[in-house]
Formats: sequence, C-alpha cells, structure tokens
Amino acid sequence: MSFRRLTSGGRLDRDKSVKFRFNGKRLKGLSGDTLASALLANDRLLVGRSFKYHRPRGIVGAGVEEPNALFTIGKDGTEQVNVIGTCLELTENLRAKSQNAWPALSFDLRAVNQLFAPIFGAGFYYKTFMGPRLKSWMFYEPHIRHAAGLGKTGTQGTAARHNTRNAFSDVLIIGSGPAGLAAALALAGTGVSVTLAEQDFELGGSILSSQNENLLAWREATLATLNRAENLRLLTRATVQGLFDGNQAIIAIGGTMVESLRARTIIFATGAVERPLVFDDNDLPGVMLASALRTYANRFALLPSKRCIIATNNDSAYETAFDLVTLGATVMIADERNGIAGELLAKSASLGVVVFAGSSIAAVAGKRRIEAVMLGGPHHVRLSCDLLGMSGGWSPLVHLTSQVGSKPQFNPSVQAFVPGPLATGHYVAGACNGSFGTLAAINTGQAQASAVLAALGKKAINKTDVPPLEADRGLAILPSVSPSKSRFAFVDFQNDVTAKDIAQARDEGYTNIEHLKRYTTLGMGTDQGKTSNINALAMLANLRDVPISQVGTTTFRPPFTPLTVGAIVGRSLGQHFRPTRRSPLHDWHEQNGATMIDAGLWKRAWYYNWAGKTPHEAYLKEMELVRHNVGLSDVSTLGKIDVQGKDAAEFLNRVYVNGFAKLAVGRARYGVMLNDDGLVLDDGTTSRISETKFYMTTTTAQAGEVMSWLEYLLQCHWPDLDVHVTSLTDEWGGMALSGPNARQVLERAFPEEDLSDSALPYMAVKDIEYEKVPIRILRLSFSGELGYEIHCPANFTQGLWEHVLKMGASAGLKPYGLEALASLRIEKGHVAGLELDHRNSLDDLGLGKMASSKKSFVGDTLRMREDMMAPERWSLVGLELLEPGKKLRGGAILFAAKDEIKGHGRGYITSVTWSTDLQIYVALGLYQGGLAHENEEIIAAFPLKNEKVRLRIVSPHFIDREGTRLNA
Amino acid sequence: MLDQHSPLGGDARFETTGLTMREAGGFMLIQYSGPERVLLRELSVEAAFGKNEKSEGRTFFRINSAQIWVIGKELETRHSSITNLSSSRCRIALFGEKARAVLQVCAAVDFSRASFATGAYVMTGIHHTPVLVHCTGPESFHIYAMRSFALSVWEWLIDAASGL
Repeated sequence: MSFRRLTSGGRLDRDKSVKFRFNGKRLKGLSGDTLASALLANDRLLVGRSFKYHRPRGIVGAGVEEPNALFTIGKDGTEQVNVIGTCLELTENLRAKSQNAWPALSFDLRAVNQLFAPIFGAGFYYKTFMGPRLKSWMFYEPHIRHAAGLGKTGTQGTAARHNTRNAFSDVLIIGSGPAGLAAALALAGTGVSVTLAEQDFELGGSILSSQNENLLAWREATLATLNRAENLRLLTRATVQGLFDGNQAIIAIGGTMVESLRARTIIFATGAVERPLVFDDNDLPGVMLASALRTYANRFALLPSKRCIIATNNDSAYETAFDLVTLGATVMIADERNGIAGELLAKSASLGVVVFAGSSIAAVAGKRRIEAVMLGGPHHVRLSCDLLGMSGGWSPLVHLTSQVGSKPQFNPSVQAFVPGPLATGHYVAGACNGSFGTLAAINTGQAQASAVLAALGKKAINKTDVPPLEADRGLAILPSVSPSKSRFAFVDFQNDVTAKDIAQARDEGYTNIEHLKRYTTLGMGTDQGKTSNINALAMLANLRDVPISQVGTTTFRPPFTPLTVGAIVGRSLGQHFRPTRRSPLHDWHEQNGATMIDAGLWKRAWYYNWAGKTPHEAYLKEMELVRHNVGLSDVSTLGKIDVQGKDAAEFLNRVYVNGFAKLAVGRARYGVMLNDDGLVLDDGTTSRISETKFYMTTTTAQAGEVMSWLEYLLQCHWPDLDVHVTSLTDEWGGMALSGPNARQVLERAFPEEDLSDSALPYMAVKDIEYEKVPIRILRLSFSGELGYEIHCPANFTQGLWEHVLKMGASAGLKPYGLEALASLRIEKGHVAGLELDHRNSLDDLGLGKMASSKKSFVGDTLRMREDMMAPERWSLVGLELLEPGKKLRGGAILFAAKDEIKGHGRGYITSVTWSTDLQIYVALGLYQGGLAHENEEIIAAFPLKNEKVRLRIVSPHFIDREGTRLNA
Repeated sequence: MLDQHSPLGGDARFETTGLTMREAGGFMLIQYSGPERVLLRELSVEAAFGKNEKSEGRTFFRINSAQIWVIGKELETRHSSITNLSSSRCRIALFGEKARAVLQVCAAVDFSRASFATGAYVMTGIHHTPVLVHCTGPESFHIYAMRSFALSVWEWLIDAASGL
C-alpha cells in the first residue's frame, strides 16, 4: 500500500460508501472521493499506459492538470473516453476502464515499444512513413491509429441528453479559490449580477487542500454569505471550456449542460498548477506532484503509508511536507537549492523532516511503482520510499486569458508565464497572475472586484474580511536544469515527449516553439500542456541560450478540459439538426398521397401516388396530364418579394438586365439579374401591381440570396431611392395551373371574373377577390403549356387549392409534383437552378439578347470581360439521345465524338428527362462553344456506371418553339 | 369564405409544470414602410426600438428605421407603403414561470425580468430561423415565427421545454 486512508479528516462522508468498478473489479470509495482518490485508496497506483511507449503510468496530479489518469467511463457502447479521473466525482456504480493497454493494464504487449525508443524519437512518423511510394501513408495510417490513441468511444453514443442554454451576467468569476471567493464576496449584495464558475464539485479551490483552520473557517463563512446573496449564481462542476469574442464563455456544467454565457466583465481566478521535475523515469507510478500529495492527504484523507520523498526547487513544497508530517507521515525533502530559508529548516527539524539541501533526483527505482530514489548532488544516498512528490514551481493557468488575446509574459521572479496586457473588462486575481500566496489571492480578488464595480459604474466596496493567516512567502524558486540526453526523462507525460526529444528537435532545426510543438507533439492532447509547457520552454531556452521570454509560448486552444462531442452538439440532432421548411400545402400533400422530397430546407411534393408507385412511373404520367389536359402544382416555395416605393420601377430597371421602367400596370415580365461580377444571379417574373408596387418572384433556391442582394443594393448603393422590399415568400402561397384546359378550370373556379385570353393575355396579372380573400392570378408558363399561377395569402392557400381542385375535378384536374414540374421545363428549355449555378453568364445561357443596351444595370460592365465573351465558353445546348434503349444521366461528361474519354471533357449534362412529347431522352447541358456545334453528334460519358452514349446537340427548346401553346 | 389553415393546425398546445405553450392565431400583422419621419408622423407613434407601443388596440413594433409592424387593424396612410404579413408569421404564446427559461435555451438574448420586461421585444433567431419575441406580461410572451418554419420552431420549443 502506498497510501493509507485516515480514519478521520478529509472532506469525505465516511457513512456513505460508494461502489464502483475499475477494469471490471468491484471497488469501494467514499462519498466525496474523486475517481482518482478512490483508486489510490484501493492501492491502484497503476491506472493507464502511455501514448507511445505504453509505459505504466500512475496518477500525477489531483486536478485539471492531470496528464495520465484518463479513463473510459460507461459500458455497452456508451463509453466516454478521456475522462479525467482527478476531476471526476465518484458516483455509485461508476464503471471506469484504463486506456491504451492491450491485452491488460498490468500486461501490455505494446510496451515492447519501449525497446524501440531509440528510433521512436521526435519526428519518427514524419521521417519513416513517407515512402517508399507517394501513397504509402494510406497503408500505414490504419495500423498506426490502431496502435496509438487515447481510448475508444462507444459505438452507441451516449444515452444522456445534452442541453444548452444562454446566460448573461455583469461579472463572470472563473475559479473559486481564495481569489475567486474573495472577489465574489466583495460583489455580494452590490446589485451587479455575478456568475461564479468552478470546475470542481466543491467551491474553494486550493483551500480544499489546506488544513489551515482559519482559512477553512473563512471559506465556510464566505460561502454562507454567497449563498444568501441574490445577485450571485454559484456554479459547481462548471468548467469554462473556452472564451470567445464578446466575452462569450462556453461553460460545460455537470457533463450534460453547455451554457453560453455573455459577461460584461471577467475576473480570471483560475489559479496555478504545480510543475513536475524532469529526471529519468519520472513517470513511474508513485511519482506525483507534491501539491497532489497535499490534496490527497488533506481533502481525501490519504496519507503515504511509509515514507514520502519531496523533491523541490522552491519553498512551496515545504507546506506539503509539513501537512503530511502533521498527519503522521514520514517525509524527507530533496531540495535542489543550497540557500534554504532558515525558518523552513528550523520548522523541518522541529517536525522531524530530513532536508537534503542541494540534492536533486538522480534516479528512481521500482518496476510498477516507485520503491526508492537515488539523490544527486552532495548526498549520494538511496532512500527507499513509496511515494515521491515533485515540485518544480507553479504555472499560472493562462489558457483562458490567452484565448481572448492576452499573450502570456514571462515573470522571472516566479519563473512562470503570467497573463500579458488584458482587454477592457478583463481582470486577473490570485495565482493566475503569479500571486501565489493565499493572502495575496484574497487581496487581489477583492481589489479586482472593486475595479469591476468601478468599471460597471457602481460604488466602490468596503474591504471585506480577511482570515488571520501567516504572511505569504515567496517561492524562492531556483530554475531546474533538465537533462537533455535521458531517454525516459519525460517532459510531456501525455504525449510521451522526453527531454531527449526536445534536444533532438532543436538539433534538427526546430528552434521555434510552435514548430517544436508540432514536431514533437508536445503540449497537444487533452491536457494542452498544462504540466509540460513551461519545462519544455525552459529547456529550449537553455538549448538556444536565450531567455525564456524570447522563446514565447504556444497557442492555448479550447476546450480547457476534454469535452464530449455530445456536449458540443447539444440538441442539434435528428429532426432538430436543421429546421424544416413547409409549404402551406404540406399537410394536404401528405394526406393526399404525395411522396415528399427535400429541396434545400423545404419539403416539396415530389410525385403523387395517383400517378404511379415509383417516381419514374409517376412523373411521366403527371407530365402527360399537363401536356394533354390540366394539372395543379404547388409553387409556394418560389421566392416572392414585395417591391414598393415611388422609385420601385427605377430600382428594378437597375437590378434586371432587361427593361422594367416601362412595364405597364397589370403586366408581368421575365427578368434576369446579375451579380456585380457579371454572372447570372437569378431569374424570375416580376409583375407591376400599381405605379409604385411590384411583385417579384425568384427561384426557390435563390429566394434568400436575392432578398439579401436587393437589401444590400438599397442600403449600400442606392440609399437615395425610395424603395422598400419585403419578403412575401411565407405570406403568399401559390399554385401553378397548367395544361391546355387550364383556362376552363380557372373560369370555373372564379366564375365572376373575365379570364379570357383578351382580358388576361400571356404575361398579364390580375388581382381579384374571391370570398373576401385577395387572389393574384398571373398568366405565366414554366411548363410551356397554357398556364396560370394563382397566389393568395398562405392562411387561405389550402382552401384555395382544394377549391380549384374541386372545380377542375370534372375536367380531370389532378396535382403534379416537383419531378414533373422540373421535367416539363426541360422540354420547354427553361433554365433553372441546375443551370443558374453562379458560374454562367447571360450569353452562356442563351439569354444575352435580353440585356438592354439603353440602360445601365448591375453587372453590365464585368459581364463584358474578355473571358466572359470567349466563344469557347461552356454554354447552353439541348441534347437528344441517339441510342434508343439507353439512358441519359444528369452530370454525365460531354466529349466531342473524336475525343478520348478522359478528364473533364467539354461540358456536362445539367438536367435530363424523358420527353413524353418526343418519346426520347432529352437534356440541357453546357458544352464548349454551345450551339455553334448544333446538330453535331457528341458523346456523353458517365464513368461511375461505365456508360457511354451518343447524343446530338440541338436547340434547348424541344417543344413549341413558337409559343403557340402558352399563348393559347 | 375559403377555409383558413394554420401551420400548427390551430389547436397546438403544450403544457408542463410551470409552462404552457399554444398557438395564438387570429391576428393581423401589417407592415408600414417609408422614410422614418413619414412613418412616425403617419402612424402617430414614437416607436422606440425594442419597446412596443400601444395605441387604440394596436401594438407597434419598430423593425428598423424604415419599417414598423403593427398588430391590429390596418391604418390608413397616404405616403407609407403597406404590406400585409398576417399569413407570414405564426404566433406562439408562452406563459408560466418557466417561460423565460425556455426562451433562454432558444436564443442568445437576455430574457431576464430586469432586461426584458413587459412590452419589450427583440428580433432574434430560434432554431436558425428569424423570430420576433415579445414580452406581453411578467411571465408571458409571444413568438412570431416564420410560417414555413413554424412547426420546426414549435418542435424545438417543446424539446427545449422538455430539457428544463
């Protein structure tokens, strides 16, 4: 046993035993334990294997700094990996497994890697797996990934529900150690809203690891005040995982909640973590941070069983030694310094602590756990022990300040990086700023609270109580010199980066710390270098013979501690992954045999079961209905924009390539608009409702983009125009009534209206009222047949749809879906989303003649660029299949008949359909040179299915080129 | 009269301890557009952004410098452009002691009593879609969601409420 559990003391409830399993073994801990302390209480020093060498690893720390004690939690496919055992509260029936060991933790075959350590140094992968061929990495990668890694996530995912929420606060205090508590105490009752976030399950930070009764009493009294204060929100198990612009803090709370908190001000009271010392085999289980030994003793009542050695280069470790001795342990100190303060030596002597001055750790002995240490320096002795505590100084936790732009600065007096200049509204208190004493933490916490109040325009506070404590002592730290040739002197435990790796990387030219990080993997992984960075920086500085401040730091990135993907995703999964958009006719479609299809966020009726069971069977029947009788289709998803104002006509005249200034009231016009780069943005029909009011329609896909574009033009380019645009896409529903018998149905639906060809000719628009509902009838045709679009407010669209269907029933009117709608337009040669892909010019789409030469419009200059006018551009063609029995496919690559079928060809098929009129496959496509090649026979290749067919280039207007049908 | 259909079916209702949500249809939403001074003069309102104004049974929301939404019957104006948006939005009412907590799940807006009191409104996003949230009482709110997204927003709200 390395540790023994004391029968009293600690922050444990000895009446509440907690059962848990580790690697399948049933174990017991106490309420108040962490998983780590419970394992130590059960003498489980060996808890995992290292990343690269599979060396046996034990618990090093007692908090967020822990690099080794990462566990897989859960069972039956819901396993969660990389849970930090030192932060995980022990709960009943917890199941924990060690990671990175095969077949067993105690017997890991991959530990053979240690034998290859001489060749596994820095950059091994980069140098070794480059060849022999270009794609060799593809071969190696799965094997390497199988051998390495930190745990294996369960395949089932977590059953837990992950919630998210937003919160706001005047002040966010991060950390509840003495600085954080003092700041919160000072702000209690001041009226400003305060959120205190603490990652532990108890408030108190380093106080929880103390046995100073005055300090513990102060904590109790402070918490009592804080709990009474209505302006404070105290969060435990709440880790600030990241800080972002606008003081947005992402706080993971209790594993199943992520809070996005916006704070006006932030007090960073994140504290500091102790640094390890670097010596040979410093990763042996039982070698721990000195501060961790203190925490396990005072908080978890776990005392070294026999003898404990403390190795240090500073004064802070003496606190640990004195606390352990007070509780009954035998402690010796190996202090690298010769000039040790007299009062420390005197106190050590009085407590029976033997101090070896000027002594470092030369070597450690033991196989699976430490058994002895050999001291270097003047005292060449072997000391048997069951634990070794290291103290290499302290590293302020500057991760969060760095995330919001404060570059850490080196403070030589504490041999540590502290936050640099801070942004407005940010304050640092306590050890995070290098003020390592408890009194300093309390005082700076209070001072920063005062500063916050002043910044928020509140009255200053009276000084709050400070516990009666001994004056803080400085660290008196002597920078340690790490070995640079030892094979297993670890700097970064989590990534198996040794002192030798760093020296080697430097020798190979990686003198910049960011380069060194990537070459060696130092500071990566779940701990983000919390214990390793400063030692590595010091080593590199020594090797380069420059001050540490010149070496700088690497970039600290969120999350601060491991965070599950589930927590990040929150409730954005399944049907909530993205919103679904439904037309006002959605319910009708579902109730009347429509098969729905996604079209962007929209759900659209694809085809109806009256026409067939398969989409192919159904859309052809629906096409025939429209070509030979009459059909009704939901076009509510089209973009609809209200354009009003006395300059509305002028505005549209500038937006569209063709003229709109003289469009008569009651008439509609097809228009095309360009982006300012001269490429086609969208097309659609715009109707003039009155002198100052227009009704624009856009394609479904581009509705949002066009709306934004119009707003941008009005706000940024033409603020002088009196024009107001409003999206009506949701306000108005619409239906297309198409087919030779469309007018007959329309007249039955609205018997009071004159809807004859003369009263409502092609491209005319008429506003009517039917049963007090405003209805807009536009005589347009997307299908090429006689057609009308009937629009009305969305609340009435289903009622109108049902009315029209009822009136058309005797004529054989039935609904048709998106597939037929999109196919009919191919036969007619209308371009749509597949052709309007933001890469084509007007001329590419055969629309160049629409561009007015008498006015200026958006894109008119850049559309004339040389490359845009090049005759060899891919432009719109019609395509007819020449091989009956074969099939055309969208996306097929087009080649000239003489071409080798290879590469990107001369174009591709954009849209394809079976033509019910022509009884062949027809398609639209983009082809190099376009209709200059009319009547040429070409090849369409579809490599995915190894297909090749012959085609002929024809006009894209396959039917009714004269427009007889739509003008009927 | 043609049948009317609501995107939530008209009788959508969700109840849990401390929270009731239901569709609150049957409203008129008219948008008035025009130069700011013309708008304010013709509608006879001050309409500060973020705080509703009420007058003769109508509620006014300033949408931007050139547009005001009015819940209530249409007003006669000479120079402002009028756009009826009554079908474009689905109104969802939330009330109860958990209403603010539900909203806090949905949008990055401070919905606390101190910051979002009766009469306050905000244009924000819920489930990636634009909405207007209006505080109609100490613990009651209206959400004006886009009609086409209304069912998705409704389902999102129920899910949010289920996690409280």
